[in-house]
Amino acid sequence: MFERFTHDARTAVEQARVEAGALGAQRIDAGHVVLGAVSEPDAVATLALARLGASADDVRDILRARPDGPLDADALAAIGIDLDAVRTQVEATFGPGSLDGAPGSRPRGFDPSAKKLLEVALREAVRLRDRRIDTGHLLLAAARVGEGPAQDVLTGLGLSPQDVRDAVAEVHATRPAA
Amino acid sequence: MSDDLLATAAAAEPAEGLRAVRALHTLADRLEALHVERARQAGWSWQQIAECLGVSRQAVHQRYGKRFG
Repeated sequence: MFERFTHDARTAVEQARVEAGALGAQRIDAGHVVLGAVSEPDAVATLALARLGASADDVRDILRARPDGPLDADALAAIGIDLDAVRTQVEATFGPGSLDGAPGSRPRGFDPSAKKLLEVALREAVRLRDRRIDTGHLLLAAARVGEGPAQDVLTGLGLSPQDVRDAVAEVHATRPAA
Repeated sequence: MSDDLLATAAAAEPAEGLRAVRALHTLADRLEALHVERARQAGWSWQQIAECLGVSRQAVHQRYGKRFG
């Protein structure tokens, strides 16, 4: 399905993999795809979120704070807990990576939420009669799905689906999807 | 220390403390899940696990029943 993706949407998918790995995730989910979509400064999704006062760093913070996100070693150290020592103990009993995934690992692929987001992005492009799928369509898909990791990101940013649709439409008006 | 700096320090302290509590909750949740799973694999009943954790059998089952039933 990627043959219809614009250059920035392909970059978004590759960045989703990189970001998911950096967060220690085992699989790429829809939240990582949203983060990938805003990874390039001039991507449609980045420009749309900027209009709404949000950035890639904001999205990354939301993903970090998820219960399955990386453990906050600095905060634990501040109250005297050495996360490395805890990890060593836990992994001795439960095996490597049992406490948290291994940050920097390569995720195994897309989970169902990410696949769904890509499918819905395709449908959004068809609905708008755009020939190609860009990061704006990925963001529109996040606003469309209604639940799951992508929706959680938008909720965390305090954005309604309509906010997102309006912002993407404004960017598309100045930079039509090819 | 100027008043500005004092104000910043006062604002930061609760935030830092709350952040630590949150990190501790997350860490405790993960440890709990690992140990509950191991106990179930070793044949422990939900009642036995609940007693060790100091919570009700229903609470443990509700939380882990689907995952480690």
